[in-house]
Amino acid sequence: MRRYVPVAVLVFAVYIVFSGSVSPYDLVIGALLAVGVSLAASRYLVRDPSKACSIGRFARLVWYALYYLTVAEFRAHRKVIGIILSRDMPVRPAIVRVPYRARGEYTVVASANSITNTPGTVVVDIDTDKSLFYVHWIYAEGLDPETAYENILKDFETRLSRVFE
Amino acid sequence: MIEEVVRYAGLAMLVAGGFINLVGAVGLIRFRNFYLRLHAATVSTIGGTFYPLLGLALISLSTPELGEWRFFMGGSLLTAAFILLMLAPAGSHALARATHRASVARPEPVIADHLEEDRGG
Repeated sequence: MRRYVPVAVLVFAVYIVFSGSVSPYDLVIGALLAVGVSLAASRYLVRDPSKACSIGRFARLVWYALYYLTVAEFRAHRKVIGIILSRDMPVRPAIVRVPYRARGEYTVVASANSITNTPGTVVVDIDTDKSLFYVHWIYAEGLDPETAYENILKDFETRLSRVFE
Repeated sequence: MIEEVVRYAGLAMLVAGGFINLVGAVGLIRFRNFYLRLHAATVSTIGGTFYPLLGLALISLSTPELGEWRFFMGGSLLTAAFILLMLAPAGSHALARATHRASVARPEPVIADHLEEDRGG
């Protein structure tokens, strides 16, 4: 039972926000959709119901989103915009190995998405056996995996581990 | 009063997004290879698409002339922004991975390519 609740709540919330109305018609359709989608999809989406129901984890996800969308993005945008607009375009491009510590699939996907969404770093490939991201880095501060981890991933992964791990 | 503040915040996001998109376009032209251009494209994903959509949502929510429809517009813009935030990197990943696998674009200039080394290059 607890497996189905988080998915249903999420679907219902998205439906209500998207339709922008709380008329009885929308409430009924939203509830029906929420029940149907969560019955069909929960077993693929939720592996550990106690994690998915945790309010604390959800709060940390919101906090991560706020931090990521303001501080991290602002820093990265300023850097890449600086490179684009400068006269000689100082780039030091490299594809580096970045080892990740996370075990959960959600953490790995969210980390990779965060890295790619910040300008200046793009995940090119992933090696799940060796737990490595291959990241194209526009201004490589260093080539060894530890420097790359410290500069690119550490910040995101530690915060996301508190949400998903 | 609060409506004015929200509307101007939305307008500021919209203007900033326009500027960032312009910079991204300049970067697409000035960078010299595929991978560097990909970085210019990701500049336009967050700064040039996510924030302007958020700004448009704020503007529509703070425009009472739209009546009930402002919630519909604001809500769908908000949903679109967050779905884009989650799905846009999937496209970048697919492009970068496929390009590297097929070796159709050399990552030149480059100071190190560990992916090439590990793949037995």
